[in-house]
Amino acid sequence: MIDPLMFLWPAFLVALCLVGIHAYFGILVLARKVIFVDLALAQIAALGATVAFMLGHPAQSFATYGYSLAFTLLAAVLLAFTRAWGTRVPQEALIGVIYVVAAAAAILLIERAPQGAEHLKQILTGNILTSGLNEVAGIVPLYAAIGLLHWLLRRQMSGTGALFWEFVFYASFGVVVTSSVAIAGVLLVFSFLIVPAAIGVMFASSLARQIVIGWIVGTITSAAGLAASFAFDLPTGAAMVCGFGGALAIAGLLYPFLRGNRQHALRVAIATVRWGFAVILAGSAIQLAAAPRADQPLLDMMEVAAPSLRALYFTRAEQTTFVEASDYAERYHMEAERLNSLEKRNRTEGVAFDDVSVARISSFLKSYGEMRKGEQFVMGEVRARARERVRWSVSLGLLALALASAPIRWRRLWTPGMGQARS
Amino acid sequence: MPDAEEHLGRGRQAVTKGMEAPPRAALPHVKSMVLRFAVIATWLALLSPGFAQERIQVVTTTTDLRSLTEAVGGDRIAAVNLVPASMDAEDYQPKPQDVLRLKNAHMLVRVGLDYDLWIDRLLVQAGKREIARGGPGYVDASFAIAALELRGMSVGPGDGHAHGSGNPHYWLDPKNAEIITGTILEALARIDPANAARYEANRLAFLARLRVKLVEWEEKLAPLKSTPIVAYHNSWPYFARRFRLDFAGFIETKPGVPPSPAHLAGIVKTMRERGVRIVVREPHEPDRDVAFVASKAGASVVILAASVGALPEASDYISLFDVNVEALKSAAAR
Repeated sequence: MIDPLMFLWPAFLVALCLVGIHAYFGILVLARKVIFVDLALAQIAALGATVAFMLGHPAQSFATYGYSLAFTLLAAVLLAFTRAWGTRVPQEALIGVIYVVAAAAAILLIERAPQGAEHLKQILTGNILTSGLNEVAGIVPLYAAIGLLHWLLRRQMSGTGALFWEFVFYASFGVVVTSSVAIAGVLLVFSFLIVPAAIGVMFASSLARQIVIGWIVGTITSAAGLAASFAFDLPTGAAMVCGFGGALAIAGLLYPFLRGNRQHALRVAIATVRWGFAVILAGSAIQLAAAPRADQPLLDMMEVAAPSLRALYFTRAEQTTFVEASDYAERYHMEAERLNSLEKRNRTEGVAFDDVSVARISSFLKSYGEMRKGEQFVMGEVRARARERVRWSVSLGLLALALASAPIRWRRLWTPGMGQARS
Repeated sequence: MPDAEEHLGRGRQAVTKGMEAPPRAALPHVKSMVLRFAVIATWLALLSPGFAQERIQVVTTTTDLRSLTEAVGGDRIAAVNLVPASMDAEDYQPKPQDVLRLKNAHMLVRVGLDYDLWIDRLLVQAGKREIARGGPGYVDASFAIAALELRGMSVGPGDGHAHGSGNPHYWLDPKNAEIITGTILEALARIDPANAARYEANRLAFLARLRVKLVEWEEKLAPLKSTPIVAYHNSWPYFARRFRLDFAGFIETKPGVPPSPAHLAGIVKTMRERGVRIVVREPHEPDRDVAFVASKAGASVVILAASVGALPEASDYISLFDVNVEALKSAAAR
């Protein structure tokens, strides 16, 4: 268990730094209602780097960073201006336009310098897993300086104020986002920014408490996301983003129980679950009746969970055919894998196969693939026919279940006179 | 079974070759287009009387195929590649100009094996029978290649495309160039039978050069025979088979999906256990992930070109191998 720790703790450290500054900025961003401003600023920074790249500066150079920063500052001016200008169009729309135009402009520029495509992708995707102490050393002083600046200017920053202070806000935020996006990618940075802040705002009203709640939530979620990414062998950034989504969902579900009318919340929750079941069951019933040969997500999931369910509607002969086809498919798959690994080992071990042998292996692999596909086709066909046979009875059953689970007050509908009394 | 259909198509064309109209048959088609596009008309009028019409216009999807086509066609053809060098051909976004290039082409050469699937839609858009699947000018360069690492099926639902029809990087085995240039030669001879002998001579001269070079490359890479290497993307099975190299692992398990920590830890563990000193990356692949793995295991990063033009020195098919062989050799000597 030492290996995963060695791997994950630098990423966790980076996540801590990012949570630290983004939870704070997230609260300000939520207050200003400029949710997607970080995407716009990150894209503008990437556009600046692309321009630098086209002018011949290497990817990691000081000049490239300078261009990114200059573009970000220009965008900050633009954002501060749109805030102060005030039209009937909400600022969020303009932020969205800045984002798409910056992204499109970068694509147009990249057309002229294809070697920059990967660079652009890296700026925006990042990979927190492969970041480490170098990145921490780079961002800690920067974030500390910006944090200090904001603490000194806390009165000007908290509300929406004069044009200049708006510019300072967007500029400092742009500097933070430019560096954090390069480390963790836009998706994860957006999660760092919005989710802890949203949960903080949900459960506290003073800025200090909101930040502390955000930090705690961010730290726990980051750790859980990293751990899940290791345990379940998932890409780290995506796992963390889903973790943040889960955290927000849990906080949202808990909120009415902690802060609102518990009984009402419980009633709404139960009704929602029942309606959800009813809709899924009714949908499956209609799908089975209308297109029994098409995918049946509900039945397929049930069969994956409990393959013995097939015995309920397969005939004896169908069951035998299905199991046989499944065994053959598995066997062809294993044979193909065996040949593949034989060929791979032979690249370096023993006497190299001649070209004819390699061609023969290749053609065997192709045949095994076709044969496996054939068996899978048989499996699908057997199941489709069985489902066609039972489509009406099973659909009716599902529909009855759907009606039973829907929170409709049956008794009221049945009682004679109720409807008339109402009208 | 598209492959079989192609075979049949080819057989039929071979029989009727004598009766086929010469390549100028493309003219009426060009003419009708000229009427539609006034601008292109001027352009064609300026260019065509000189040399453009004389030469056979060939479109290839990748730079590698362009280089091989040029080796066979010599100065009788004018080839363009659609995917710029150093761009990933697997997720190329076609541009409007590409349709025009196809409309002007007498021959199309593609990689196949699901590597350049986007060309199918482009061919439909271009609507030119000559270079459509089964036409005389359609060349799937993977024809008769012994594909490695086949995992899936070639027949999927619909049009016969499913993933897993083999690793598509087959041009990285110089011996496969014999087969590829053979397929190209066949198509050129079909389109322009008058110059068939010339194409054949070009091809033989190229293969003679390649054979000499292959011996040289094999000698240079002989010391790396049991040296384990890790690569970012699995582009190298054919290269590995020809030069007896041991690619012990890949950082990217699925295209476009960042590696998971468990996978990275596994790679680093393998590298430490087996003493991997070399991590290979292509110029368009993320340097940070590769540098991270290399630093954790104390290996050095080598940039190899998987395609002609991906590195500036790899300007044609033969120099592609020259560059890669030299890079690997000097990394092993470090």
